[in-house]
Amino acid sequence: MSLKNRSIKYAFILPGIFWVLAFTIFPLFYSFSLSFFRVRLGKPARFVGLDNFLRLFGDYKLGNSLRITLIYVAITVSIQVILGILIALLFNQEMKGKSLFRALLILPIFCTPVAVGYLGLTVFYEEGGPINSILMSLFDWKIPWLSQPFWAWVAVLLLDIWQWTPFCFLVVLAGLQSLPDEVYDAAYLDSASEWEIFRKITFPMIQPVVIIVLLLRLIESFKIFDVVYSLTGGGPGTATEVYSLYTYRTGLKFFDFGYASALGYLLLAMVMVIVNLFFRRVRQVYE
Amino acid sequence: MGVVRKKSTPLTVVRYILVLVVVAWAIFLIYWGVVTSLKPPAETFTITGISIPFLQFQPTLENWRTELSTRESRFTLANSVVVAVLATLVAMLLGVPAGYALARFQFRRMKNRDLTVWFLSQRVLPPVVVVIPFFLLMRTLKLLDTQLALILLNATFTLPFAVVISRQAFQELPAELEEAAAVDGCSDFTAFFRIAFPLAAPTLVAVAAICVAFTWNEFLFALALTSLKAKTFPVYLAGAEDTRGVQFWFMATRAILALGPPTVLALLIQRYIVRGLTFGAVKG
Repeated sequence: MSLKNRSIKYAFILPGIFWVLAFTIFPLFYSFSLSFFRVRLGKPARFVGLDNFLRLFGDYKLGNSLRITLIYVAITVSIQVILGILIALLFNQEMKGKSLFRALLILPIFCTPVAVGYLGLTVFYEEGGPINSILMSLFDWKIPWLSQPFWAWVAVLLLDIWQWTPFCFLVVLAGLQSLPDEVYDAAYLDSASEWEIFRKITFPMIQPVVIIVLLLRLIESFKIFDVVYSLTGGGPGTATEVYSLYTYRTGLKFFDFGYASALGYLLLAMVMVIVNLFFRRVRQVYE
Repeated sequence: MGVVRKKSTPLTVVRYILVLVVVAWAIFLIYWGVVTSLKPPAETFTITGISIPFLQFQPTLENWRTELSTRESRFTLANSVVVAVLATLVAMLLGVPAGYALARFQFRRMKNRDLTVWFLSQRVLPPVVVVIPFFLLMRTLKLLDTQLALILLNATFTLPFAVVISRQAFQELPAELEEAAAVDGCSDFTAFFRIAFPLAAPTLVAVAAICVAFTWNEFLFALALTSLKAKTFPVYLAGAEDTRGVQFWFMATRAILALGPPTVLALLIQRYIVRGLTFGAVKG
């Protein structure tokens, strides 16, 4: 398609560009400069050079939240993507009620994450919540969902997997359905096994889609805040205090703005590293 | 469509059961929320198992009536609606023309592709990185606890959806119609408003719905920047626990009230969800 080259194009695009500069780039710079200061509410800012960044190294609470977040991201994203692919394969055939089922699977994706956390609170309730009451009647055993660090962490993972596996499913299913039928016909004539067909034909063809899903989930998972805030509040103790929650509290509960900015920049750096691994592929998409 | 394969009967039955298990799992949390909101408070903890309404208990709308007549839940709902609608409006006003420019005009200094990725890259930013500068900025501007602050911010966060997806929608329209209009003496602006805009309207409506849903669900900034007047519904929901103890019937009612609007919107734009949430990288 030929693209026009007229100066009116700037009238269309410049408002958007200025907006992003004002509301994204400016705060980023502001935050960067804050990270070199000791800024506390009600006190004048004081330049401290790299102090805030040096403090990162000795901060055991940071170490804790970083470890929690990285493990959380690794586990939740891999489970979501794998389950998403499996469910998409399961749905990739004609069946009665398919469009209804697909519609129902869309629902979790758009649920307000804070609300998901609170619904989790009612579901994981230890005395008489639905999961524990079923466990009690079957095995006479209950799970200390929110009072024990490990299980609280599992509860957060379960909610996140619940909410985002459908997204992976939906996108992979779209990828599967765009594949031409012909490639399969030959494979079936060769009577290759299901697994062989998946490994040698289906997966290589949906791989680009899987990579997009993986990237989007990785980026979003690092942002996790809402569900933890509402389900566990970071507890018990600091067992589920993920990175965003720790940064938020440092900045807006203890009003240590400078150090919180340094924390933010460390998170941004990690996410940027991940995105850069995928960067060339992302650019290709928008050719 | 997938291939229709011959399957022995037992395997198909197994598959179907698996499908039903997946669906049940996907809606369980919502189901549980709805059911809990319909239980009489006194029975919230005594009804066991999966609590089937009518069978295991007599559902009541009492919790909903109480909740909807509470002043605070009404004005926080209203705040959420105002912020979501106006933020979306701003995002669309800025984003759709930008998307059009990226689809129809050629940019030299920074190529179209790079501009698109630049707009998109903002979604990579973890919100917590900018929440402090925004908090200080809004405090300086005396905009803390105002709807305006939330509108400005949410418009920013949803702008990438508006730009990238509208760009794709315009790319898929034949340019010939606008070229013909230009031959007839139509200006670029008129061509955009009269021809391209209406033709892309269905996709644009879907984008707007996605922006509304994301703004509605936004929590971190609403929590940081509002305290009273401009509080949105999710923030009100988050305060519920502290104020009323573990009153699950209210909690569930509010949770369902919170997730109702975005999920209903999602169902209305089903066809566009894959494309929308992957920023056009995967076509649904």
